[in-house]
Amino acid sequence: MIRIVPREEYCIGCRLCEIHCIVQHSRSKNIIKAFKSERRPVKRVEVEEEGHVSFALQCRHCDEAPCVTACLSGAMQKDPRTGAVVNDPERCVGCWTCILVCPFGAVRRDEAEHKAVGKCDLCPDLEVPACVANCPNEALLMVEE
Amino acid sequence: MAATYDYAIVGNSAAAINACEAIRGVDREGSIILFGEEKYRCYSRPLISYLVAGQIESRGMYYRPSGFYRSMGVEFRKGTRVEEVHAARKTLTTDGKEKVKWRRLLLATGFKPFIPPVPGLEEIDYLTFVSWDDARRMLARTARPARVLIVGAGLIGMKAAEAARARGAAVTVVEKMERVLPQALDAEASRMVWERCREAGIDIVTGQGVAELESRGNGKGRAVLEDGGEMDFDLLVMAVGVRPRVELAEGAGLDCSRGIEVDGHQRTSLEGVYAAGDAVNAMDVVLGRPSINALWPVAALQGKYAGLNMAGKEVPYPGCNSMNAVEFFGLPVLSAGIVNPPDDGYEVISRRSDAGDYRKVVLRGEVLVGMLVAGRIERAGILTSLIQERANVRRVKNFLLEEAFGHIHLPRSVRQERITETAAGIMKAEAARDKGV
Repeated sequence: MIRIVPREEYCIGCRLCEIHCIVQHSRSKNIIKAFKSERRPVKRVEVEEEGHVSFALQCRHCDEAPCVTACLSGAMQKDPRTGAVVNDPERCVGCWTCILVCPFGAVRRDEAEHKAVGKCDLCPDLEVPACVANCPNEALLMVEE
Repeated sequence: MAATYDYAIVGNSAAAINACEAIRGVDREGSIILFGEEKYRCYSRPLISYLVAGQIESRGMYYRPSGFYRSMGVEFRKGTRVEEVHAARKTLTTDGKEKVKWRRLLLATGFKPFIPPVPGLEEIDYLTFVSWDDARRMLARTARPARVLIVGAGLIGMKAAEAARARGAAVTVVEKMERVLPQALDAEASRMVWERCREAGIDIVTGQGVAELESRGNGKGRAVLEDGGEMDFDLLVMAVGVRPRVELAEGAGLDCSRGIEVDGHQRTSLEGVYAAGDAVNAMDVVLGRPSINALWPVAALQGKYAGLNMAGKEVPYPGCNSMNAVEFFGLPVLSAGIVNPPDDGYEVISRRSDAGDYRKVVLRGEVLVGMLVAGRIERAGILTSLIQERANVRRVKNFLLEEAFGHIHLPRSVRQERITETAAGIMKAEAARDKGV
């Protein structure tokens, strides 16, 4: 499976990862439409920043994922094939238990849909996740395990 | 001749299903039989309020896909109650008088509603609100405008109230304590929820018990409160509390005065018999002693560790804490650990933002032991994990109430370990440390 590893010594805090994440998860995958005319998707990566230090953080796709065990509806599952922890929006009821137990704060609410969709899905349609591919300073690395 | 199974599981909810999956992760071959008392395949009990409120459909109730038992290689006995367990002979008997031999047994018998002895109650066709059948009954009985009286403002009572209100019913909640959700929430969050419920048209009466009930047939009746006030209802919901279901464990010879007792591997004192879920008195890492946390995520975690240990993988249950994720009328509230400190040996820091969001942390010495966030709840799981890890938060104390509190505030070494290691690594490290203690 692949994991995304942040490198804080290379992160410049530009937040392009957040923007490309939003675009990639938009309907049109077009930056202008995604930000101006469509409903803007929830970002699935978050840049933490304090002083000179910053890094981007998204779902770690834990082997023993607390969100999968805790999920009330069974929507949050670990894909045995890819190793990705994925939330099925059809089954998610928005109880927020995943947000309660995620040690990384890596799940966000989609308040409009009332579902916990704001989590990294490793961009299944792309060879390299959008945040990694568009990081200008290689502060996000994709590691194959 | 009774058939012999490598694993027998009594129960069909969070603990049981997670145990099945954990067993199969270790043992692909062993035979598993699972007994579910209700006429449903495994569904998510906490979702009944979503079903009644019309937020999900029936098919959204199921916890696992329809082919689950087959794909797991589990023989599923639906609608079958286990009546007796004989631990020495390693057998069990069902209500259909089927006798089964087992090598390892899991008791995941869950909870039952506690019904207080109110005069007149036995004459009334009242509801509890803990099962799919309860949800169906509430749907049927709120099909027309109804006055619903709910006794108890705990999680079950308040969710029943919200669901009934969504059905258009006139809802009144009566609670003995002075506030709603007295256990799950602190006074401030409780007030916020009350406010939302009031705005939504739910009537809440606190500091009051029901002294007497009078039936008028068809489930309707009149309640007399302790202060003499009277209230007519078309539907009565009893939601005073729950108790562990321990009859089977007791019958097998276990002492269950505080729930089913287990060791650090979910083993009971009977050879080959394990227990997990809402009936079990298991380690609460915040309290530092066993406690019953009858909560879905806790049951699921216990089931998982019971399953691993039953299948021969010796891994200690990491322990859990009292944690809740709730939402009432669009106000989400998350809490973990101790939110109502029992004495003044705790430090409480809280903040209410201008936007109305609320955030509070509870410390014992320099250790984070509790948190509660209402409104903007994103990233609160970081606090939960620090509570679960019994982390010393001296150096980050000033940041805990910040909405942006995150790994950036943790020491670099801690941060890097947390981020590059997976949560499995964290749990492994913790398990190892617990073993050393």
